[in-house]
Amino acid sequence: MTEGKVGVWDVPVRLFHWSLLGLFCFSWWSGENHEMDWHRQSGLLVLALLLFRLFWGLAGSRTARFAQFLRGPGDVIAYARKAGDEHPTDGHNPLGGWSVAALLLVLLTLVGAGLFAVDVDGLESGPLADYISFDAGRQASEIHEIAFKAALALIGLHVCAIGYYQFLVGRDLVSPMITGKRELAPGESAEGVRWSPLRAAIGLAVIAALVWAVSKGFHFSSAGEV
Amino acid sequence: MMRSAVLALVLAATGASLAVAASPADTIAARQANFKKMGGAMKVIKDELAGGADKAKMVGAAKTIAAVARAQGPLFPKGTGPGAGVKTDALPAIWTDRATFDGHAKKLIAEADKLVAVAGSGNAAAVAAQFKAVGGTCGGCHKAFRADD
Repeated sequence: MTEGKVGVWDVPVRLFHWSLLGLFCFSWWSGENHEMDWHRQSGLLVLALLLFRLFWGLAGSRTARFAQFLRGPGDVIAYARKAGDEHPTDGHNPLGGWSVAALLLVLLTLVGAGLFAVDVDGLESGPLADYISFDAGRQASEIHEIAFKAALALIGLHVCAIGYYQFLVGRDLVSPMITGKRELAPGESAEGVRWSPLRAAIGLAVIAALVWAVSKGFHFSSAGEV
Repeated sequence: MMRSAVLALVLAATGASLAVAASPADTIAARQANFKKMGGAMKVIKDELAGGADKAKMVGAAKTIAAVARAQGPLFPKGTGPGAGVKTDALPAIWTDRATFDGHAKKLIAEADKLVAVAGSGNAAAVAAQFKAVGGTCGGCHKAFRADD
């Protein structure tokens, strides 16, 4: 370990973060350009990532866990009052933790609605759309659209917050999400995060199987590919 | 007697003219409802291909598409474009390039008829292929003549 630095984000958290960004952009592009096969594939991968993140919020390293970063309103208000002055947080700060929760929730809504969405021509649809009516599928499309706009807004906020820390507080939040390590505050002693590759693999395997079943619409013998 | 006959004629005449000169809003609403019907029918076929493969349902849906496709052409009279003051995704190109638009409409009817013919065959691959052909005509026309939302 480098002198004066400490591991703050485990490998799965970082892979999740950057893959999610990449897939979100790709989904956006493919959706705008009516590349619906790509859009469905990409959306299923986003679903897998989100499910993994939920799992990792229970089974990951300490900074990945919901129990560590979802704090009560008192902590959030106290942090917001002195956001800039605080020394670097061990993981998500009390405000940022809820921003993560909000992003996860909105993205899950976005992907969940996408699974059931139907286009106006009844041509393109999510893999679970055959369980609901055309009208319900159209409503799912509406929710998909609203959740997308909400996601863009939250991502905008996320980027602004990073910019705030970068330029007004002078704290680099981007490098730690790449290298996994953050600077230690003077006199601070923190242990690096630890995670279990075995647990990650088990979670990933279960989620991969589940998402595969979703991609088939839980029909394991179909009459014909459409 | 004479009077009531005249009255009946007048009523019939006004009734007929009302039907012909439906307001742009009514015409737009009617064709949008039809497109929705076709979308719903497409979804029925798609769902059956994914799961049940119920022939009767697929034939019924294909017939809906073929019948509604025939009704759509007359529902695009002049004056029912974006300028009509009603929200519509119909592009002005429909009226400036009518021949191409009508060509698409004819193609849809032809492909939908083929879908009707194949829907009850029990040959899922053939239904799927024809479903795609019909979908292709939808998409082909929408690309050129419908606003992208």
